[in-house]
Amino acid sequence: MADVSHTPNAPPRHLPAGTPPILELVNIAKYFPGVIANEHVSLNVFPGEIHALLGENGAGKSTLMNVVTGLYQPDAGEIIIDGYGTTFPAPDAAISAGIGMVHQHFRLVPRFTVAENLHLGWSETPKRLSAKDIEGRAKELSARFGLPVRPSAIVSSLSAGEQQRVEILRVLSRGARLLILDEPTAVLSPVEVDELFSGLRRFRSEGGAVIIISHKLDEIMALADRVSVLRQGRLVGTHHVADVTPDSLVTEMIGRPVALATSYPRQVPVLEVGKAELLSLQQVTVRDNAGVVRLENVSLSLRPGEILGIAGVTGNGQPELAEVLTGLKDPESGTIFLNGKAVNRADPAMFAHAGVGHVPEDRLKRALMPGLSVAENMALREYDRPPIGGKFGFSMPQARKFAQMLADKAGVKLPGTQVQIRGLSGGNQQRLVLEREIRIASHVLVASYPSRGLDIGAISAMRDMLARARDAGVAVVLMSEDLDEIFALSDRIAVLYAGRLMGIMARADADRDSIGALMSGRSLSEAA
Amino acid sequence: MSAVSHRTRLTVVPSYRIAVGRGLSILAALNIVAITLTAMGRSPVELAGLIVRSTVGSRFGIEDLALFMTPLMLTGAAVWVGIRVNLWNIGAEGQLYAGATAATAIGLFTNWPTLVALPSMIVAGMLAGAAWIFVPAAARAWLGVSEIVTSLLLNFVASLLVYYLATGPWADRVTGALASTERLHTAFPELWGAVHLGFILALATVIGLGIGLAKSRFGYETAVCGSNPQAAHYAGIGVAPRILAVLLLSGALAGLAGVFEVAGTVHRLQGGLANNYGYLGIVVALLARGSCLALIPAALLMALILDTGIVLQTTQISSSAVLAITGLLVLAIAAGDELAAYVRVNRT
Repeated sequence: MADVSHTPNAPPRHLPAGTPPILELVNIAKYFPGVIANEHVSLNVFPGEIHALLGENGAGKSTLMNVVTGLYQPDAGEIIIDGYGTTFPAPDAAISAGIGMVHQHFRLVPRFTVAENLHLGWSETPKRLSAKDIEGRAKELSARFGLPVRPSAIVSSLSAGEQQRVEILRVLSRGARLLILDEPTAVLSPVEVDELFSGLRRFRSEGGAVIIISHKLDEIMALADRVSVLRQGRLVGTHHVADVTPDSLVTEMIGRPVALATSYPRQVPVLEVGKAELLSLQQVTVRDNAGVVRLENVSLSLRPGEILGIAGVTGNGQPELAEVLTGLKDPESGTIFLNGKAVNRADPAMFAHAGVGHVPEDRLKRALMPGLSVAENMALREYDRPPIGGKFGFSMPQARKFAQMLADKAGVKLPGTQVQIRGLSGGNQQRLVLEREIRIASHVLVASYPSRGLDIGAISAMRDMLARARDAGVAVVLMSEDLDEIFALSDRIAVLYAGRLMGIMARADADRDSIGALMSGRSLSEAA
Repeated sequence: MSAVSHRTRLTVVPSYRIAVGRGLSILAALNIVAITLTAMGRSPVELAGLIVRSTVGSRFGIEDLALFMTPLMLTGAAVWVGIRVNLWNIGAEGQLYAGATAATAIGLFTNWPTLVALPSMIVAGMLAGAAWIFVPAAARAWLGVSEIVTSLLLNFVASLLVYYLATGPWADRVTGALASTERLHTAFPELWGAVHLGFILALATVIGLGIGLAKSRFGYETAVCGSNPQAAHYAGIGVAPRILAVLLLSGALAGLAGVFEVAGTVHRLQGGLANNYGYLGIVVALLARGSCLALIPAALLMALILDTGIVLQTTQISSSAVLAITGLLVLAIAAGDELAAYVRVNRT
């Protein structure tokens, strides 16, 4: 099926037949101790092409791009640029060959202005410079590449989309002809995604080449000319996008067809809901440290065996709601009831012991200790009880065994339980956190954007886990920016807008239009 | 392709690389010292022979090393427990004075039997060391005030207080020794020449600390607080009380160093008693990196340098040479540790 359209060497159809590729990879291999990161990867990228790179978490996409940008040396194979075999001993060699990478986590100095960031570490930066000069130069660059930026703005004050434009502009200004983007849309709003895509299309029409790593199939279908799929470090196919469907890509990526279910029917009869309220909020208002109201008069209650979906545009009070529900933050006014009793003071330990699990939005910042080992990270919720520990003790051998058990359950292949968790991919970190939290969530699980950074196979597994938790009688709160996900899993759907709960409705009564209207701040009567 | 071979940085550096790097660093530092001595018209070979003979080459030299190691292991441990959780106790010098003062009070003003006096000195000294860091620790835990500045400044207060006691109310009126109290009535028993029980207790403390932190819930919880306070809060671990506890433990360890120093080695409370052990503890802790047991060889190295300084002084070389050699060695080792992280890229 896949092999029919596998055309590794032909240029995209809109280019003339004899176009020489800008980049050719021939039989690239990269090994790490005990792991084949890449093997037999051969790939061409042509000028005037947008080439998508697709694969599960850990399929070897990042390693391959690190080879192309000179961060890693391939253990076998050849890199050919414009027909000449080359090696990139270090990243600067790749940059001078015209290869530029925009990382998922921006590499900008937050306290510097846009113009200063653009001129950092650049051989063409004038020796003597004034703020006015470099801002003028930044303005020129911005105009030349058609990427609007404000040269005098401090980077930390910019939105994610604006920061990304600065990053792209910095790469382009160094003469990049091949632009590599790692999950560029993960942090962008829909409008910013459109702007990014039109920028990339303009770059392509001027003869630039783009490699884009993405998990989002619809984006690949809309933007890319060709797509290459990696599985377990090997290239399984390169196709013209016109010849494939999202389903065939998923099958090729995972090795079996996976479709995200649109509903998760209960495997066990519904529990008597409504009787016990595990956790509820009454007229809760929360302010952030700057005194801005983040949640306003929110009342809701969680029932056992039910998934409550929280829809809403990001930044409308979701993190604060999760913090209030898990005992991380005291509300300014209003009451939290845990198992029917009012909570006087926020105490995350009390909530955790009452069986409240929490998968936070920013797992690396909040739920993990990046510098500690996988074993220590996995022990975070159960270090105070046997077998890992007790009132005084702590057993590292038991913690390692426990971590290995969680990793096996989560389907994460670990290089060892003693490695720092920051060395794992974002997807694997997320799977481990999810596994750890579901274990302690005997009553409530608050999951904020649990599918962020996961590939489709892992998302499917994550959703099954949530559904199983629901079937076991856990009250699940699911915050997501993906309405499909909300609709597939939720029993009730609540909408957050500007910190207010715009309404809670049963899944059966909800439709996309009304939810969409609530998300943009219109009440139902206005929408009707 | 290019003449210069390229290197990449390892995220986790294996310990044998660190060991090799440090061996080379120490060699490099010694060479610089030798070249300097040659330029001063001294014979480095002759001096080296003298140093070896009078440190590891003689009974007295080895005793001296053990006496130097005793406080260094403990101040090193004091700084090390802090660094482990991202806290910097720069005040070990002051806490050492506080511990020594408490032990002196018992040693001068009681006539308790040794079996009562020594344990009381240990307890009082550790409490005094902890008390001396209490205010910086509480300010750090609950108000976020940098413990680096506050603990450092209290060193000067402690040093001046000891001078005041030793020249004022507690001054020796019998022999009229300058800036010193009378000899304490009790002392830690000597085991081997001048080496006293304190050396064994210091060793045991360091080993016990290493094992205790690795195998205790307290060790785990403080590691979490040090690595990511937000995650600690998320897991329901109160960060502030644990910061306080770690810093109090750190102060107590430095206080214990003061007890052994005054009641085992010097036998009198004197101005300048701390002999920079508090600051050198920072060096010892940095040399030990992540491992508590490594404090022992690190303290031995530091003790060797101190001894070398004394030997050099006897040959009319300035006592500041010790500081210069220490600085040189730390610089070389820091560079060595960093370079050990780089491996040549293998190209095939």
